[in-house]
Amino acid sequence: MNFVAKNKLLFFFISFVAVGVICQFALNSYIQALVVSFMINAIMALSLNFITGVANQFSLGQAGFMALGAYTSAVLTKVFLADQWYFIPLTALAGAVVATVAGYLVALPSFKLRGDYLAIVTMGFAEIVRVLFLNWNFVGGPRGYNGVVKWPEFLISYGFTGLALFLTFMVLYHLKISWFGRNLWALNEDEIAAEVMGTPIAKNKRFAFLFSAFFAGLGGALYGHHLGYFSPASFGFLMSVQILIFAVLGGLGSMSGSILAAGILTALPEILRSLPTGGLDIRMIVFPILLILLMILRPQGLLGRKELF
Amino acid sequence: MSAPTKMLSVENLNLSFGGIKAVDQVSFHIFENELLGLIGPNGAGKTTVFNMISGFYRADSGTIKLREDVINEYSPDKVNKAGIARTFQNIRLFGELTVVENVLLAMQQTETLGWIESLFRTKSYRDKEKALYDRSVELLKIFSLDHLAEEFSRNLPYGLQRKLEIVRALATKPKLLILDEPAAGMNHQETEDLKKLIHFVKQKFNLTVLLIEHDMKLIMSICERIVVLNRGIKIAEGLPSEIKANTSVIEAYLGKRS
Ligand SMILES: Nc1ncnc2c1ncn2[C@@H]1O[C@H](COP(=O)(O)OP(=O)(O)OP(=O)(O)O)[C@@H](O)[C@H]1O
Ligand SMILES: [Mg+2]
Repeated sequence: MNFVAKNKLLFFFISFVAVGVICQFALNSYIQALVVSFMINAIMALSLNFITGVANQFSLGQAGFMALGAYTSAVLTKVFLADQWYFIPLTALAGAVVATVAGYLVALPSFKLRGDYLAIVTMGFAEIVRVLFLNWNFVGGPRGYNGVVKWPEFLISYGFTGLALFLTFMVLYHLKISWFGRNLWALNEDEIAAEVMGTPIAKNKRFAFLFSAFFAGLGGALYGHHLGYFSPASFGFLMSVQILIFAVLGGLGSMSGSILAAGILTALPEILRSLPTGGLDIRMIVFPILLILLMILRPQGLLGRKELF
Repeated sequence: MSAPTKMLSVENLNLSFGGIKAVDQVSFHIFENELLGLIGPNGAGKTTVFNMISGFYRADSGTIKLREDVINEYSPDKVNKAGIARTFQNIRLFGELTVVENVLLAMQQTETLGWIESLFRTKSYRDKEKALYDRSVELLKIFSLDHLAEEFSRNLPYGLQRKLEIVRALATKPKLLILDEPAAGMNHQETEDLKKLIHFVKQKFNLTVLLIEHDMKLIMSICERIVVLNRGIKIAEGLPSEIKANTSVIEAYLGKRS
């Protein structure tokens, strides 16, 4: 049960280094970028899975937090820190904090009410964030934000993004199996019964939401520095839905499932793209079919609530 | 002997749903260590009274006091922390959690478990978890449910689910236990067992008990006093023998003789 088991950690660390080395020396920059994208997707999927999978609070605003993280970190490095990449870990944390503050403002009124109200509020929130950046010329408005400082090397990008993913996973997984996670499972199933047992449900939901916003902000910041460019359109409704698909495919409530799903869904479109189909873009056919099949055959997602280890 | 202290007092409680007056000027009290029955025909307002006591419904007017504290405005979790635990007319266990997790969840609310220690899963945190787990199993053992600790609670037979719901309520360390139709759907033998169980927990945990029940035999045999509601109004209050002989109670249950 206890993931801190040292040999497991060591195993993960060695595999992580090995993958990094292989990517660096044996694979091209295209694959390298894909690996980093996968890790960012995994962070986003984890952030959503915690609030939606464990706490059963349907959020459709993950892209909003992501945008706040991305813009905050990019502006800070550009304006105050002379585009030095080694400040990225700090500014990314700042981006995560800004997203958390926004999360707090959204959570304050949202969790006084029960039901699917949250989905609408979070969707509205993400839209407001997007429109704000759309109208902010300093960061490029609709043209997007150009020249965001990037990591200088694949291995550095790989290392820091990997570290962020590791932190995200460890924090959310440990919360999931702690007293806090138990509170969330309980209110996930039956809010009324949980409340009668003395669980302060609004407070618990609020905290779950803050953790979710924090890591979504972190993922967003890394997204920006990975690509070096983004625009308000990058953080539209489709992004929120895509993150939701990751979490659902892996299994709502399964943290390792989210990472697995992010891996599959990052790789799959690229594999499909590389197939010789005579110019036909079969991605748009295969992808939806796979999702439909999954919903029919395994509605609880690949892992359900379980973990891989 | 001095007068016994009141554990719970309900004074002039009112609640309407739209046009329906579900609870109308209801007053009653429970003494410490008493077992009080709350009865009445379907729709009399019994569950509604429970929901007001446990903080789910706000009374339109009236007061609810736990000892000296007015608890009308408390949220359900605060009511629980103040010392009232309840079960539901329709069982509300956490079906996807195991039996022991159901108890653990309730028990951990009485503890202070930190954020940092759980994030790092420190040794001391794991020890605390282990201790909580052991205590939960111990509590289950008192009710001979410990061999089912790792089962999903949804897989338990009906009677045991009812029992587990009571155990879970006890895990929050209440002073006052309120049970909403615990015998509903039980056969004769199960009801007999439940009767013993209620007596047992009352003694063992030094509890005051408020009980809603339709099973008259059960009510008459275990309650020390009974309050009768009909259409939201309290129509009688007294010893079981008095209630049995009360004409307005008989009319409420059997209809008025013409
Ligand atoms: N949430 C609600 N909204 C509207 N009406 C309600 C609500 N809860 C209860 N009522 C009404 O209040 C009245 C009392 O209901 P209550 O559930 O308290 O009865 P009861 O005495 O527990 O009955 P039973 O023995 O059938 O459980 C009923 O007429 C019921 O329809
Ligand atoms: Mg009822």
